[in-house]
Amino acid sequence: MSSETNGATERFAIGISFGNSSSSIARLNPEGKAEVIANEEGDRQIPTVLSYIEGEEYHGAQAKNQLIRNSQNTVAYFRDYLGKDFKSIDATPCHNSAHPQQHDDTVAFSIRDTTSETPSTVTVSEIATRHLRRLKQSASDYLGKEVNAAVITVPTDFNDAQREALIASANAAGLEVLQLIHEPVAAALAYDARPEAVVTDKLTVVADLGGTRSDATVIACRGGMYTILATAHDYELGGATLDKIVIDHFAKEFIKKHKTDPRENARGLAKLKLEGEATKRALSLGTNATLSIESLADGIDYGSTINRTRYELLSGKVFAQFTALIEQVVKKAGLDVLDIDEVIFAGGTSHTPKIAQLARNIFSEKTTILAPSTFTAAINPSELAPRGAAIQASLIQEFDKEDIEQSIHPMVTATPHLQNAIGVEVTSGDAVDFQALLHVETALPARRTAQFSAPKEGGDVLIRVCEGVREIKVTKPEPKPKEEKAEADEDDSDFSDSDEEEEEIREIVWKTEKPIAELAVKGVKAGSKVELMIHVDADLGLQITAREVGGQSAVRGAVEAPKA
Amino acid sequence: PALPSGWSAEKDFKAVGTLSGATQRNLEAVGPFFLAHARRKRHGRTFSEDERI
Repeated sequence: MSSETNGATERFAIGISFGNSSSSIARLNPEGKAEVIANEEGDRQIPTVLSYIEGEEYHGAQAKNQLIRNSQNTVAYFRDYLGKDFKSIDATPCHNSAHPQQHDDTVAFSIRDTTSETPSTVTVSEIATRHLRRLKQSASDYLGKEVNAAVITVPTDFNDAQREALIASANAAGLEVLQLIHEPVAAALAYDARPEAVVTDKLTVVADLGGTRSDATVIACRGGMYTILATAHDYELGGATLDKIVIDHFAKEFIKKHKTDPRENARGLAKLKLEGEATKRALSLGTNATLSIESLADGIDYGSTINRTRYELLSGKVFAQFTALIEQVVKKAGLDVLDIDEVIFAGGTSHTPKIAQLARNIFSEKTTILAPSTFTAAINPSELAPRGAAIQASLIQEFDKEDIEQSIHPMVTATPHLQNAIGVEVTSGDAVDFQALLHVETALPARRTAQFSAPKEGGDVLIRVCEGVREIKVTKPEPKPKEEKAEADEDDSDFSDSDEEEEEIREIVWKTEKPIAELAVKGVKAGSKVELMIHVDADLGLQITAREVGGQSAVRGAVEAPKA
Repeated sequence: PALPSGWSAEKDFKAVGTLSGATQRNLEAVGPFFLAHARRKRHGRTFSEDERI
């Protein structure tokens, strides 16, 4: 091995999720499973906080504890300030820690990070570098090998300046950034990379509920490839909003007893924030939680309990805001809740059982809600992004830098996607139904194969390949819901059961829009199946092959691309 | 599949239409299936060619 930089030296990459509130590091273990690494304090969710006392640097949970006694020299919630100018940032989350300041065209903090009495101005980029350096160190210590590269997750709305600033900060921390990937896509990958997962065509909503912000994203997953259809963000909604409810509840109780408001005193508020957050977390696991703070205000110790029912009652409005964000993004994508196949809950706030339960009520029964309280095999929502990043890191760490750059180049990612679904007409009795083979928003070129059962008596079979359009049929309650039986199909069924809660029954029906081609498979044996393969080129040309399963001869043909 | 009646075509295949168009979107450059897609696209290979390698 030579000592040349990048490329020549061996790469050792991890996945990093870098959040405003907390960050995580993950790697693929020798068994090929993604695993989140705990730092030296045993934390897997490492608070994105740095604090300085007498020139000594504290990081993570230790730094977070300094918010009480040493708030002026503690920097928190800085991820979203990277690559931004001072005017465009929202400084609210930093109210109880070091305040962001304008410094040239970037954001900086004035903190005493050395033994000298005079504070120094440290840019947000430098803070991010120090934070990433500590994360890198924790991973290296754990793995016993110097980590020198990473895949880092970013929100979907990160602009180019923010991306560049993050890459520069990481490079300064001795990390080669192999790729920046989007947080919701990392979450989807973390689920799809499980050994038991089957690659299907599906529409996924990722609800990333964080500490100071929440993001919802609709992703079309087609043949294991992801396309983002819509995103929605709420920069004020997050775990901190729920913390405040807990804090206010206890503060009111305290006032009733002792006639002083602990929130008016900075240190009292800091203590309440820290403990209130811990209490809220306990309420995600148990139905009861306690809070006890020494010398909260006026030297009075305080202890109390809260149960989950009470907490859910107080938080009802905020919970509704989370579900509204999810509904909003589905609408923004031009979709109906019936179209959604799965909802992935990611981010720390997704541990809250009630939020997933409320989401359960929005979607139909066939929609999978992937959250700890609704799905037993759910992955810890806090670990989804780092796991996805670790998986991606392991996939590309062997590549040359040039290879990675070429692969993620827009030339490759900009791809035509199908406007309508392509499928075949299926007759069951008198009714003609449409079965989708390639779904809407499938990236091209694509290929799908499916088997259809031939008529019982056998004989000649006609296959009509058509374009289909999904419609929502609304039925008034009186007629009993018609049972739609899905034929054997490799893709998941497109028929959804009716919504029981609603008065009217809403269901997805397919309408054949436009015939594309007809094929005849002759002399099919009774009870056998016909296999159909459709290949769509990037220029919308088609190649279609049909044959009887086990049969020798196949019918094939091509459909030309439409003339522009 | 439906039964034909008096249906015939050359080589049992008849093209009756074309696809109605596509929307240009960005794929997320993530996951094993994307990387396979990128490899095909960069080398100009088709699915079956890719499988043979």
